[in-house]
Amino acid sequence: MSSIDDMPTGQRRIKVERRLNPNASWTLAMYMIATLFGFGLTALLIWTSGADVLKAFMTLFDGAFGSQKAWIASLAKATPLILTGLATIVAFRAQVWSIGQEGQVYSGAMGAYLACLVFAGLPVGIYLSLIILSGMIAGAGLGIIAAILKTRFGVNEIISTVMMNYLIVFLLSYLIGGGPWTEVSSSVVYQQSARIPDAAHLPYLFGTTKLHIAFVFALIAAVFCYVMLEKTPLGYEIRAMGFNPVALAHRGTNIGRTMIIVMAISGAIAGLAGVSEIFGTSHRVRVDTLYGFGFTGIIIGMIGGLRPLGAVIAGIFFGGLETGALYMKLLAKVPAAIVPAMEGILLLTFLIAGVAARYKIVRVNTND
Amino acid sequence: MTELFSEAILISIFAGTVRIMTPILFAAIGELVTQRAGIWNMGVEGTMLMGSFTAYFVATSTGSIWLAVLAAVISGIMMGLVTAFMTVTMRVDHFISGLGINLLVAGLTLYWFRIYIAGRAQPTFDGFNSVAIPGLSQIPYLGPILFDQRLLTYLAFAAVPMIWFLLYRTRMGLELRCLGENPKALDIKGLSVVCRQYMAVLIGSAMTGLGGGFLMLGFSDRFLADITAGRGWLAIVAIIAGNWMPRGVLAAVFVFALLESIGTHVQVLGLNMPHQIFLAMPYLASILLLMGLRRKTNQPVKLGIPYLR
Repeated sequence: MSSIDDMPTGQRRIKVERRLNPNASWTLAMYMIATLFGFGLTALLIWTSGADVLKAFMTLFDGAFGSQKAWIASLAKATPLILTGLATIVAFRAQVWSIGQEGQVYSGAMGAYLACLVFAGLPVGIYLSLIILSGMIAGAGLGIIAAILKTRFGVNEIISTVMMNYLIVFLLSYLIGGGPWTEVSSSVVYQQSARIPDAAHLPYLFGTTKLHIAFVFALIAAVFCYVMLEKTPLGYEIRAMGFNPVALAHRGTNIGRTMIIVMAISGAIAGLAGVSEIFGTSHRVRVDTLYGFGFTGIIIGMIGGLRPLGAVIAGIFFGGLETGALYMKLLAKVPAAIVPAMEGILLLTFLIAGVAARYKIVRVNTND
Repeated sequence: MTELFSEAILISIFAGTVRIMTPILFAAIGELVTQRAGIWNMGVEGTMLMGSFTAYFVATSTGSIWLAVLAAVISGIMMGLVTAFMTVTMRVDHFISGLGINLLVAGLTLYWFRIYIAGRAQPTFDGFNSVAIPGLSQIPYLGPILFDQRLLTYLAFAAVPMIWFLLYRTRMGLELRCLGENPKALDIKGLSVVCRQYMAVLIGSAMTGLGGGFLMLGFSDRFLADITAGRGWLAIVAIIAGNWMPRGVLAAVFVFALLESIGTHVQVLGLNMPHQIFLAMPYLASILLLMGLRRKTNQPVKLGIPYLR
């Protein structure tokens, strides 16, 4: 890695300078290298498990995108991931470093389940709409709390959202693990809710393939985020908040109000991810099926370059990896947990690439 | 009879508090050094988790808990190298890089854990036993609470005055604190900012790794995917709550640990409440605590701001 030239001899030093205008092909090259490097490290990890690396990668991609059935399963897996990715983008564009998406997913699932119990018996269309709406409101509510803590009490949003993630999991674990929502059969108590009635299931898109209507919602949400961020005055404020909040305040914008709106939108989208998973896929409230969507969404948002289209692509890619990982586990005996590890690796290499694209390394003579 | 019973419970709660403080204290005091040097290491949770996993792996495969402790420290240093590379050398935003490290470690440890236990019952090990200090442990009440603990617990408490001395009474500490306030001053004098910031991150991460190791070796005999369960974050909150002072950090860690200890004693205390309420307490307390603290005072001015000359 380091050549003799890099040694700090006192004669020459390496200096990092900010590029005034990062050029597109250099940036693209950096991200290509980051991707290759990420896959290389993943290959190394697979190799440590004693598996055949090439076979593992091939089964992974075959299981992810090798057939129409695989594609449909991957898109179904991608649905909540695209949503949490979008939730991340809305917050991070405003430089609100919320990591509460995880908690907002749980909160959304809980709000929707509550509506599912309360509004039972209403006509299906209204019933489903109320369920989805309640999930989004519950997610937004959690986001708004973090925003208020930040603007009114100066509590760092990273810390507050992490704490709320834990709080909400404890609440859910109480509700379905001994509390009022717990499924009790004649002999055993499960750590899950009762099965959701058929009327409350999100409708499938093609017959009974796993892909349900929330995938369409995810795409609509992506378009909504794009239009909102790029084409509306609110989007301008959000982006300006990221760049220069002081100037924005001088312009007369109420920063506190904008932050509350940002966190409400972000939370509502994350809440929808929870609704999608519970009412579209697992049909019960459980902690383990909801775990990790929020965190993966952060990676997806970052790798997608904080752009809605990027989140859709990255979400489908990661959804594919998660489907493929199940095949790989069966056929190549590599644990499916390789996927979160790979996601983490890719995030770090992309972060480094992002910096490398913005800075250039120059060698300067310091003979003076 | 009931009086004796409640005395025993009180002693058990406070002895538990001291033990629960140990891993958080290591992480918090270590991270304090890092933050005083201007680096906001948000990867404490991940570093701690890596320490826990490494300790578990080494303890079960070699049978030596001291080797496990050493391995946890080394894993902390490795995580520190990654953190320092990201934040000091590459100048990635400290929050984002820490987040990335947490997510990476959560994935890596789960993956390695699955490979390690593939197709067999999860191996266990014998963790630390408590070491009663002769004489002192005989003192009524205080003895069993303070002087019948594991060796690393004594070390964690000793670390608080040691780090205080390092920060406020040595030249190295002065330079370190200067990194957080005015790194340019050091740079102008020809002292390497990069080198010192690396050192601060490594010290902090080594201690965090050790804390993670103790969490494994002092509490449980088997690894779980999310065994740290937010303790790394509590360490960060303890620093903010303790206003970046060793004494304050110690006090904050005590409060968090006391709440957790009461939570683990719910059944013995005969409280008819869901145990989740007590598990949630430290997190709720942190939020309330942070709400009460007005932004202020001892936070290093350059904390979290990458240094560019």
